[in-house]
Order: sequence, then structure tokens, then C-alpha cells
Amino acid sequence: MNAKWRLWLAGILLVAVIGAALYFPALRRQVYKAKTLTEKTAEQARRELLPPTPVTSSEPRVQAKMFWGSRSGDGTLVPVMIELPLSSDATLRAKEILNTLLAGPVDPEARTVPPDAALLGFYILPDGTAVADFSEALANSIPSGIQSEQLAVDSITRTLEANVPQVQRLKILIHGQEVDTLAGHLDLTQTFLVNGSASAAPSPRSRLSSLTAPVQKAIERVKGATKPR
Amino acid sequence: MGLNIVVLDPAHGGIDLGARGTEGIRESEVVLQFAAQVRHALEAQGFQVLQTREGNENPSFDDRSARANAQRGAVFISLHIASTGLAGTVRTYVMPESPVVRDPSGLIPWDQAQAPFQTLSHKLGDMVQAELARRFKGSPDTAQLAPIRQLRTTAAPAIAVEVSSVSVENRSELDRMMPGVADAIAKGVAAFRPSYVVPVMPGTPMTVQP
Repeated sequence: MNAKWRLWLAGILLVAVIGAALYFPALRRQVYKAKTLTEKTAEQARRELLPPTPVTSSEPRVQAKMFWGSRSGDGTLVPVMIELPLSSDATLRAKEILNTLLAGPVDPEARTVPPDAALLGFYILPDGTAVADFSEALANSIPSGIQSEQLAVDSITRTLEANVPQVQRLKILIHGQEVDTLAGHLDLTQTFLVNGSASAAPSPRSRLSSLTAPVQKAIERVKGATKPR
Repeated sequence: MGLNIVVLDPAHGGIDLGARGTEGIRESEVVLQFAAQVRHALEAQGFQVLQTREGNENPSFDDRSARANAQRGAVFISLHIASTGLAGTVRTYVMPESPVVRDPSGLIPWDQAQAPFQTLSHKLGDMVQAELARRFKGSPDTAQLAPIRQLRTTAAPAIAVEVSSVSVENRSELDRMMPGVADAIAKGVAAFRPSYVVPVMPGTPMTVQP
């Protein structure tokens, strides 16, 4: 190979290297975009698989008290009254209430839970303990921190307390599984007091109560119904 | 025997970065530097200070608790930076009340280790938060209740201190807060010291001085 050909070859290689260097960041952005899209699609698919909560127009429209975050961002909850058609059945009513809470307030700044979080299941046991099963987005998309995690759980428990008096305690599952924490801080291994004795509790309301045998059975039931990915 | 050891717990670490801000602020890194300043302030008050991590490791919740549970006469302080909250404010958290459960031999289960210390933790939390509220306007006057996993297995007066937040526009805003936070924690723990009388024999109930 003569010097001229070597020069040509080196030139072609140099152009290829520069081209690859320019293309690499764009390729990385495309891969990241595709990954985000896949995650969203999986979350959407899970939502679509959920049976819709049966809300009929025959159900009376009543004033519901929702607890969303303060617009000032100071980590406090603010009660908001809205009119909703709510079932008289406690389980259906709780599902309707929680789905409204998850859908979020008019002002996105007042959100307490991630917009892509979904309620996968909800049961009330005879002793007043409720089991709420949320999608993984509740744990994965919530801003990490004691204050943000507590605000999310408090908004759920206080909204249930205000609208579904049958719920005494709440056990939170993530995709059918009992998890250690919501997002690294708030303890989800035990139940949260919602009504009853909790009505005398000082604010904030995230008080724990020990797991009872019926709750353990209910968790097993939910685990059986929702297979982990 | 009185309080002489403080176990500092810089939260997160390793692959767990904790809260992340828009300016590339990582909670796991900030709390480590934060811990160094708190340590210095506590040592100046005459305390021996131990840390649950010195570098970029991520010990388990139980390993972190074990660091305090192996000591006698220690308090445990977990350090955090929030994702949310009003910038420039600080909150101290303690566990809400839960019944003290003992097994037939009188021992307290590991996962309920905090239960006998809740009154002491609350007192320590209020004392630290009172110092913080004096220095950082907009912070609550008293400690807040939150069921924090890290505190539940800790058999010592235990609090978590969370600074708001990683969402500040510039890291220097957090850095400027650190000396004040460190001083407040050290003064709060020093004020708490006479309240904590550690039992001579293991298993003897804790006493709280008025």
C-alpha cells in the first residue's frame, strides 16, 4: 500500500470516528427516550387492565373532602371540598375516593402522589382494616424524602378518614407486595391508623399499629392475585 | 452512666443516591459532608462520635441501627436532605408512639427496638428542633412524628434531621446552612444530656429526668 492510499484510509477512518462521536449523544438520547416510553406504556397497560370502578349516574353526588398539599409547598395538607358521585358501599366508595385523590387536584403543584400512580386493588376486612394495593409508580416516582413520603401517606389516610368511616386502619402494598419503605424512608411494614382511636391523635397522622392476623391473610390474598413482575 | 456517644447516620450512599436536585446535587454526597460538620460540633461539646458510614457505602437499615444498638449511652441521629419543602428550613422527626412489645423472656424484638425509647427520642427531637427553629425561620418549633424505617430498629434515643432541600438553585445555599444545622444539633444534644440516665444493668428500664 503506497503513501497515497494510506492517507486516504486514515482520512476515511478519521471521518468515521468524528461521525460516530457526533452521532453517539443523539443515539443515547433516543435509547433513553425509548426506555421512558416503554416504562410509560407498561404503566398504561397495567391501568387499562384494571377493572373500572363502577360509578353510575344514579349514585348521589355528595361533598367529598380531599386532602392535597398546600400550594405554598410547606409540607402541610389542605382540605378541599369537591362534589362526587359516591357509592354507599364502603369498598367502592374508598376506591372512588382514592382514584380521585390519585387523579390529582386542579393545581399540579398541590399533588401529593405521582401522576402515574394507580390503585390496583382495595379491600376492607371485617375488623375495619383496609388493604390498598398501589402500582409501583407510587414508590418509584415519588420524590425521595421523609417529608414528601409522609405527605403522600397522610393525604391517603386523611382522605379515607374524612370520607370512608368504615376504614379504621390502612395497610399499603406496592404491586401486591409488602415493602419495607415507600421510597427509602417511610415504614410500610405496618398499618396506619385512619379512624377510631386515631381521631384523637396529634397531627401529623401517620401513626403505626401492629399487623393483625387478618391483615396478613389479606396480604397473602393480594399477593396471590397480583403476581410480581 | 450518662450520654457520651452520638451515632451519626449519613443516609443513603453507594448506588442509593437519595434525593437528587436539578443542579446535580446528590443527597448521599451532601449528607456525608454535613456529617463531618455535625461531628466537629458534637466533639467540641465533648461527645464521642461514631458514624454508620464514612465513605460512599450503603449499609442496610439494620446495620446502621446495629452501630447504635451495640453502644451503651448513645443517641442516634440520621441526617437527610429533602426533595421538597421550603428551602432554608429544617425538620426533626421522631417515631410515633407504638406499644412496647416484649417476648416471654422479657427481650424486645429487634424490629420494635425503638418502642421503649420513644419518650426520650421525642424529648431529644424537641430540644434539637427548638435550636433549629431559632436559626432557620419557617421551621417548626417542635419535632414532627413520622414512622421512619431507620428509627424503628434503633434501641437508643433516635431522631432524623431533614434539611430542605436538594431543589435549591445553587449547592452553596445548602452549604451555608450546614454550620447552623451542626451547631443546633450539637447544642440540642448537649441540652438533652442531663435527661438521659443510662441504666447500669442491661434490661433495667430507662429513666427520664424531668
